[in-house]
Amino acid sequence: MEAHLRPLCSPTAILCPKPPNSKLPQLLQRPTSYTSRFWYTVSTKLSSYCRFPPTVLLATPESQVSTGLNTDTREWAMQDFYFLRRDVETTAERVKEIRDSACLQQLEQEVADLELKAADSSFWDDRAKAQENLSALTDVKDRIRLLNEFKSQVEDAETIVKLTEEMDSVDNGLLEEAASIIKELNKGLDQFELTQLLSGPYDKEGAVIFITAGAGGTDAQDWAEMLLRMYVRWGEKQRYKTRVVEKSQGEEAGIKSATIEVEGRYAYGYLSGEKGTHRIVRQSPFNAKGLRQTSFSGIDVMPLLPEESLKVDLPEEDLEISFSRAGGKGGQNVNKVESAVRITHIPTGVTVRCTEERSQLANKIKALSRLKAKLLVIAEEQRASEIKQIRGDVVKAEWGQQIRNYVFHPYKLVKDVRTGYETSDITCVMDGDLEPYIKAYLKHKYSMKVTAAGVV
Amino acid sequence: MKLSFSPKLSTFLKPSSVTNLHRSFCSSSISSPPPTSLKPQTPLFLKPPIHSAASSDLQKWHDWAKSLASSVGSTFVDLDNGPDSTLLCREIKWLMEDAIEEESEGMENNQRSIRLRVALEELYMLWKQRVEERRPFQYVVGCEHWRDLVLCVQEGVLIPRPETELIVDLVGDVVLGNEGLREGLWADLGTGSGAIAIGIGRILGTGGRVIATDLSPAAFEVAGFNVQRYGLQDVVELRQGSWLEPLKDMEGKLAGLVSNPPYIPSDDISGLQAEVGRHEPKVALDGGINGMDDLLHICKGAASMLKPGGFFAFETNGEKQCKHLVEYMENDAGGSFCNLKIVPDFAGINRFVTGFHK
Repeated sequence: MEAHLRPLCSPTAILCPKPPNSKLPQLLQRPTSYTSRFWYTVSTKLSSYCRFPPTVLLATPESQVSTGLNTDTREWAMQDFYFLRRDVETTAERVKEIRDSACLQQLEQEVADLELKAADSSFWDDRAKAQENLSALTDVKDRIRLLNEFKSQVEDAETIVKLTEEMDSVDNGLLEEAASIIKELNKGLDQFELTQLLSGPYDKEGAVIFITAGAGGTDAQDWAEMLLRMYVRWGEKQRYKTRVVEKSQGEEAGIKSATIEVEGRYAYGYLSGEKGTHRIVRQSPFNAKGLRQTSFSGIDVMPLLPEESLKVDLPEEDLEISFSRAGGKGGQNVNKVESAVRITHIPTGVTVRCTEERSQLANKIKALSRLKAKLLVIAEEQRASEIKQIRGDVVKAEWGQQIRNYVFHPYKLVKDVRTGYETSDITCVMDGDLEPYIKAYLKHKYSMKVTAAGVV
Repeated sequence: MKLSFSPKLSTFLKPSSVTNLHRSFCSSSISSPPPTSLKPQTPLFLKPPIHSAASSDLQKWHDWAKSLASSVGSTFVDLDNGPDSTLLCREIKWLMEDAIEEESEGMENNQRSIRLRVALEELYMLWKQRVEERRPFQYVVGCEHWRDLVLCVQEGVLIPRPETELIVDLVGDVVLGNEGLREGLWADLGTGSGAIAIGIGRILGTGGRVIATDLSPAAFEVAGFNVQRYGLQDVVELRQGSWLEPLKDMEGKLAGLVSNPPYIPSDDISGLQAEVGRHEPKVALDGGINGMDDLLHICKGAASMLKPGGFFAFETNGEKQCKHLVEYMENDAGGSFCNLKIVPDFAGINRFVTGFHK
């Protein structure tokens, strides 16, 4: 964990992805859709982080993405060369900054320590711990390799620039190569910085999303189902293993609640900022007059933690466990496959529910795991923000609590209340294009953290 | 490791070993034939996936099943406290879970065919039986998820109830600090599917044994099948016969005695939820005029069967029956029991009577 927290100590690398002095034309020329397209590759890559070397993925052609340098075969004018040279310079600065802030020496020391541990004969005695160790080792090694790759790539580009300066003629092929190196390198750097944003203790884990329809009757239940679809689409796009494990249908349409399990690296890190109330404004499809209608749905997110990492001891007397059971005499008199379990942690008031398993005991075990995960997150949030009143932490699906507004009518706009990020392409958002929102929130959260730290 | 909790028994036992167990069970039943031989049916989730259907056809089935479930609304609830649409929809999900082979579940392509453990036509028939005939879901899929077990059940065998899960916990609590009980000999009277016996068999020490009795040939077969599936042949012994009759050689030797005997008063049987009243074996439900015939019968025998310090736990119809049973044990059983306790189930109904032999 520490390994991931440390790079955060260097805010400049993260807050200012481009050095402040780089007022480059490329920034202005960048198409607006750049962010989302970029994010897509990044997050896809994150989910398959360990399997593919990043270079392979970075090399995926993204010809539409312009960095101000047209990669079509054409004559290189001197002006273009100056632009390229400046790009190379700023990128070199960026690489240096990132490498400095990453404390390479410390990382190497960490690898040495972890390798020493792994060599110990008693290493595999505690399997869970050994696994944890090994994955930490892979992470640190990956990081070092990336940092070294950044350096060698920027050096390649620098060499080309120097060569061109020394030569009388211009070698188109070489310059194009340099341009493409810089383009890919910047993507890699962006992504590297993003991983730094995802440095919470559970960010790397999978996630469980709970959707609850709020006030607003059938409209709200329909809205909850739209959100369910949105998150499932998002998960599929990230190539996460996404499963709807529980769904409770609404009476007329939509759903009262649903639970989605998202398996894959960093799913929790991305999704944690989705927690909160989501508000929709539209013409009600369930109202003959088609009146404008506002509805709410609550989203709660918690990490999908491996059993062995849930080192939370919950005394039995702190738990209030209730089982839903058909009324009447029970026992032999009744046969209903109703085995829902609800557990309340009395000291905090945190409540979890599990209905998807087929036996009482299975539901209880799963509910308990979820409770532990939730308490761990709350403990973490408390530590991070020094907020004493997270208690309960129930998402209120009602007016004034929303984190994001989705306006379908009278105009189209999706706006995040916290970050101010907005788009009018509501269809795309509902199709799961949440990346810009997630990214904006992660940056927002990070800057809040830095500010808070500064105040203290 | 994930948080997910495997609902399938197939993960406990490899498919091949399951079939082997099945085979070995069948042969063992031949060597000691019960009065009426009844072969246990293979539950849906253990059937080989030899059928297939286009995913679009399966989708059609699913839509049909859902609309059939929705048409029920709260009719059954009003009629006899039966399942509503929401519960039935959950059952559809589980039915599909059992019927579809896991690896073939991906439905990205509409044209893909999906491997099934049962023909699509039969799937239609099964769901029709479930809704129209009110056939219990557990009989439809041939199994019941109970505690961490998946127990095979079929017509003629009582479906273990969630309430009864608690008996295993009660036993777990008393054996925890008591080696004599943990390594001792236990009996489960009227074992049905073998649920309690298997549950207890898995928490006893290496020396602990359970004898499970049942009068019904169907229960005897199914319990045997379940015991084999969990590899507990050396721990759980099945004896066919009425209550304590097959245990004559065990007098004064039992460390523990548990039972979930029929306890519903005869007059209540006709008004039961259709799934129970129409489909489950009456012999496992009807406890005589006040429902206590079998409970009292077992109590009478308990004193002579249990060794000193032995534990017992019985399930009852709740409240009145518990009180009655405790009164009986205090007054009429000659003071041979102590520490009598009434334990509520998770719905808060006083459901169990527990105690120790002096």
